[in-house]
Amino acid sequence: MPYNCAVIVREIWDTRDLVGTVLKEDGGLNEAVLTTRFEPEDLNALEMALQLKDKQGGKVTAISVGQPRNVDVLRECLYRDVDAVVRVDVPSVKDFDTATLARMIANTAQKAGPFDLILAGLDIVDGENSLLGTHVAASLGVDAVTYVDALDEIAPGRVVCKRQIENGSEVVETKLPALLVVGVALLKDDPRTPRSAKATLKLKHKKTPIPVSTLQDLGIGDPASLKTTVLAGYEGIPQRVIESKQVDPNDEPSLKSMLDDIRRGG
Amino acid sequence: MSELLVYIEVNENGITDLSLQCLAKGAELAKKNGWKVGGLVLGAGVKDCAKEVIAYGADTVYLADDARLKSFVPSAYQRVLTGFLKQKNPGMVIFPATTRGNDLAPLIASELDLACALDCQNTDWESGKFFSRRSEFDGKVATKYSASGSRGLVTSLKDGVADSGTADAARTGQTVPVEVVLNENDLATKVLKREVVKSTVNLKAAKIIVTAGAGIGTKENFALVENLARAFGGEVGATRPVVDAGWTTADRQIGQTGVTVKPDLYIACGVSGAVQHRVGMMMAKKIVAINTDAAAPIFKFAHYRIVGDLVDVIPKLLKLVK
Repeated sequence: MPYNCAVIVREIWDTRDLVGTVLKEDGGLNEAVLTTRFEPEDLNALEMALQLKDKQGGKVTAISVGQPRNVDVLRECLYRDVDAVVRVDVPSVKDFDTATLARMIANTAQKAGPFDLILAGLDIVDGENSLLGTHVAASLGVDAVTYVDALDEIAPGRVVCKRQIENGSEVVETKLPALLVVGVALLKDDPRTPRSAKATLKLKHKKTPIPVSTLQDLGIGDPASLKTTVLAGYEGIPQRVIESKQVDPNDEPSLKSMLDDIRRGG
Repeated sequence: MSELLVYIEVNENGITDLSLQCLAKGAELAKKNGWKVGGLVLGAGVKDCAKEVIAYGADTVYLADDARLKSFVPSAYQRVLTGFLKQKNPGMVIFPATTRGNDLAPLIASELDLACALDCQNTDWESGKFFSRRSEFDGKVATKYSASGSRGLVTSLKDGVADSGTADAARTGQTVPVEVVLNENDLATKVLKREVVKSTVNLKAAKIIVTAGAGIGTKENFALVENLARAFGGEVGATRPVVDAGWTTADRQIGQTGVTVKPDLYIACGVSGAVQHRVGMMMAKKIVAINTDAAAPIFKFAHYRIVGDLVDVIPKLLKLVK
């Protein structure tokens, strides 16, 4: 039996091993030193949807908000064989808080649906939470299952997932439609490991127009009225300065001297 | 009088340490702004926790003790919490930044039109407003969040936000029952199975920790890391991939979704040093890193950098330690 899925996809700052000064003198973000990437957990969520489609049929629709910077995440979805994409046409996601973005996505899903499952990735940048996904679920009035490791079973009206919790896991059943927030996949053989873009689809969709929805289309007259959370500013975090020594593992005296230093509390 | 509310997470082992840290943080803020501190306790058979929550600093405990709250079903917990919080019109609700706290906080915020900031390192009261700070951009920038307009803020705080403090059995406070009204829809989600390892180790108290990262490659090499820990009289820690691979249990996980540790000595074996792990150990006094990859991020914050294969290096260290 086919199930229709919507997947929320985002282009995020790539904050791994940043070098250079992230903040400008005026306290703003130094965007020139920052690059972006496809939110990796969103790719895991996309993979979960595509696997369900491979197995059971149904359509996968990818939804994104804002304009691409370096990575056109919706086109990347087309390259991986999603059936439809929608871009919420706002100049930049930076202008909105998560609650507002969630409303845009929820309204888009309502217009493009109905969907049996809405999937999102965990928000992983310097945290691990489902702020966006949970807000979307609340906007849609559906139950959310978060930190999802695997979709164990799906049947008319219900879905069973395995989710990660502190010190273990849970198996949770919920009713459809449901929102799943897909968790972090670290192992090479994780079933959520995303597939690559297909060369043939890259050729096919290089110029495919991406359909857009405006805020007006989504019935959002004044997005400012939806804002609950204010980003009040950035502060530099002093970085720990570490005196670092290279120790040659093949030189026993150096290893010994390191151990002596450690023993002395040095 | 205004009241700051703290969600107290109770699991198989009782009240979680992070909940007590959040409570201590709440009490610290309340001292600043003259608010009262209320603890929110939900679950089945959790009545006895109320006394403890008061002993740790709450003025009032709001208690929802109901058999239907035995399993953590977000929609049911949310229904009980929002029903109660609606009357309170809270200025601040603090949750521990756990899977449970991070599930509940945005649900509550969404339902009650409150601001929401998750996974924060700290929260503070400044010039008549609450601000939560979250470490972002590879730990280089703290982003400050607050509520828009006069609405309240819901925030979740990470391990290390405060000392969990000590219980003062002489403290007195009130316990107020919270009404539990649930319909079928609120309980539509069901927890079919829950598997949790009981913590057998207190890594937070360990002075020496030897940690295995994904770079160890095999379960056999995990035993090597264990040997090294034993030789140093320390505990074994692990990164998340090592736990996911099943080479050790989840109670040994250090980092984002594990524990935060500050030992005197931290020996990282095959640990790349990704930010998810780093946040849990970067305050260790001395860090020794063993990794084959000279470019691994761990070497940027290790006091002693050993570029080499742990299969060769660990036996050499074992020989010298013994």
